[in-house]
Amino acid sequence: MSDPTAEFFDGLGRRGHEPLLQEATGTIRFDLEHDHGIDHWLVTINNGDIQVSREDREADSVVRADKGLFDRIVSGGENLYAAWVRNELRAVGDIRLARFIQRVFPGPPGAHHPRMFASERRRQG
Amino acid sequence: MTEDLVRLLDGNTFVVSEASGDIDASPTIPTGLFSFDTRFLSKWLLSIDGDRLNALTVDDLEYFETRFFLTPVAATPAIDPKVSAIRERSIGGSFNERLTVINHRSEPVDLRIRLEVDSDFADLFEIKDVREKKGQYYTRVENGCLRLGYRREAFQRETVVSTTEPARIDEHGLTYDVRIGPHGEWVTDLHVATLGVNGRDLRESLQGRPGRVKTEMRRDLDLWLRETPRLNCESASLMMTYQRSLVDLAALRFAPLTAGGRSLPAAGLPWFMAIFGRDSIFTSLQALPFAPDLAATTLRLLTLLQGSVLDDFREEEPGKIMHELRYGETVGFEEQPHSPYFGSADATPLYVILIDEYERWTGDTNAVRLLERSARAALDWVDEYGDIMGNGYVWYQRRNEQTGLENQCWKDSPEAISYRDGRLPGLPRATCELQGYAYDAKIRGARLAREFWNDPAYADRLEREAAELKQRFNRDFWVEDGEYYALALDADGGQVDALSSNIGHLLWSGIVEESRAAKIAEHLLGPRLFSGWGVRTLAKGEARYNPLGYHVGTVWPFDNSFIAWGLRRYGFAQEAAHIAQGIIDAAEFFNGRLPEAFAGHDRELTRYPVQYPTACSPQAWSTGTPLLLLRTMLGMEPRGEHLVTRPGVPREIGRIELRDIPGRWGRADAFGRGRLG
Repeated sequence: MSDPTAEFFDGLGRRGHEPLLQEATGTIRFDLEHDHGIDHWLVTINNGDIQVSREDREADSVVRADKGLFDRIVSGGENLYAAWVRNELRAVGDIRLARFIQRVFPGPPGAHHPRMFASERRRQG
Repeated sequence: MTEDLVRLLDGNTFVVSEASGDIDASPTIPTGLFSFDTRFLSKWLLSIDGDRLNALTVDDLEYFETRFFLTPVAATPAIDPKVSAIRERSIGGSFNERLTVINHRSEPVDLRIRLEVDSDFADLFEIKDVREKKGQYYTRVENGCLRLGYRREAFQRETVVSTTEPARIDEHGLTYDVRIGPHGEWVTDLHVATLGVNGRDLRESLQGRPGRVKTEMRRDLDLWLRETPRLNCESASLMMTYQRSLVDLAALRFAPLTAGGRSLPAAGLPWFMAIFGRDSIFTSLQALPFAPDLAATTLRLLTLLQGSVLDDFREEEPGKIMHELRYGETVGFEEQPHSPYFGSADATPLYVILIDEYERWTGDTNAVRLLERSARAALDWVDEYGDIMGNGYVWYQRRNEQTGLENQCWKDSPEAISYRDGRLPGLPRATCELQGYAYDAKIRGARLAREFWNDPAYADRLEREAAELKQRFNRDFWVEDGEYYALALDADGGQVDALSSNIGHLLWSGIVEESRAAKIAEHLLGPRLFSGWGVRTLAKGEARYNPLGYHVGTVWPFDNSFIAWGLRRYGFAQEAAHIAQGIIDAAEFFNGRLPEAFAGHDRELTRYPVQYPTACSPQAWSTGTPLLLLRTMLGMEPRGEHLVTRPGVPREIGRIELRDIPGRWGRADAFGRGRLG
């Protein structure tokens, strides 16, 4: 069975350095609830250098959400901020970090480059 | 309609009420207690023995506290009221009201004091059109409190009203049956908490830790006023306007959840107490010589929220600077895109301009180095995503065709961009000031690359691109028969040929060819654009011109402050002084508080500036206007490590002394004597 969340964090860990997180330093833990318990993912960021582990230990920022929702977030199907406003996702501690990490989540599938969009609209004329 | 409303605010928590202190919200009079883009009180009505109260006077002590002096509606005005009431209201963390009822007679009186309370929990985007809400309401009377609630899935908001004096509480309000002795008084303190999930404080509920428990609003304001430069001048109007602006700017400061307690200017009360990219940048630019910390926080926050992916609903693109961020229900459920929404084409180049201007004033090189990645991403955005037509200009075309903005420049109302004959161009559109901002961003980006990022090759490239843009722009936008720059280009490359105030921003950006600047200055001060108070958004004679049209004829103070700055840049001190004088004269009619916009009628016709009917006030970039006008009149510029001045002060304003101007020099003073006029 595919596990988008695990794939996402594995991929993030493999990047080693992420320029989009260059301005961030700190630890952020994701507590993802599902029927069989809670999965923990700990992301340590040091000026863009990233390490990912499964540790359940104290972090500067903790994000809690349902794993199903999080699977959709890391697939671009749901927006992290909107889910937070709806209170389906909660962030505790340094929420700047939670905001930073949103940069590495993919956008919605099928989104357009503005040039592409404009030329499609012109063709439809 | 909105003139009599009383406003109190603390960041994005604010109260809009009638002069009596009552709240009775309707679509046309949208009063209420608001926090985080949700209305928490839509009804707050005081009565004594069944009579509503009338305001005798309203004492606006500060932006966070007001006193209302009231008497019951008198059947016969000749009779002295037997009782009166005082509402002392403050905001800061929560909403507090001390209600005092006074018996003026020499015998005891029995009174029924009633407070009607309700909340519709409307999202700010629903205020003018409150529809059937999708969630469920509930009301509970418990532990001497009235708890009103709204829940939609996991989203929850609650209003809890408590009182120090015992009351009979029902689902619609609080009743006190009291006896007040001869010449005695009765007092209760009412407290209204705005709560999020599971009855927790809204700030705590959103970020998992409590907000300010006790806000020391007054000390904060005193500190702010102490840190800003001191003005002395002969013009009473300018003195009043300056003081008013500093206090209003303090009021409009807003500490977003992600800013670590630091604040940046929100856009305006009441509907724009939120983070706006464009508004925060313009206001920070205006306030740089006075309160440079606003720019620092604005940059930090806009960087944090910079776009990283493509998203059609939010109109996000990598490197783009956001337009508007909200916290309400419609955003959470994606009925509105402000999470954040990125629909503005100017915020991204303006962001680079602010970084450079911030360094020039403060010498904060560390910040500029930290912002290198995001500034480069912003400059890349200009060429990659801003240039929709691939021809070297910045364009906009919304991809969110349901809730996105059609015009993504500062004149963002649907009919703001038109040809002379009134036709509206198709999309995409490239308005002229966007090209000016892009030019300036490249020039300033080049300086940053050379001086701080150690990348002279990139600097050379940016300068070359800027020079090409300037040349191209002066060829394609110049309207030969009118001798000005077109408002925009349409998708076919044709000129959207209306004469507008946008040409003034071009002077500020430096994209205007030296040989054409005098002609532009002449248009700006000419009878079609200049009303006597300021430059109109759209020239008289254009088909869509309307002196009361939001972006098609009104005068916007902020617009004029940047136009005046631009005029000085090209050496037109006299013309800049003339605009400064007009706007400061107008401010006097608004007791020093410039509205968002006022009517474009000729000054000789009306003698006073007519406020645009639904203008936002105070509004951040109007509040910043007197500050930028002061900078412009004094000709203040950072040069190396020093502040230099080249005063160009109107004679009527007389002598100006501005002391303790903060900057890379520490503190410095500037003086000017009125010689122009």
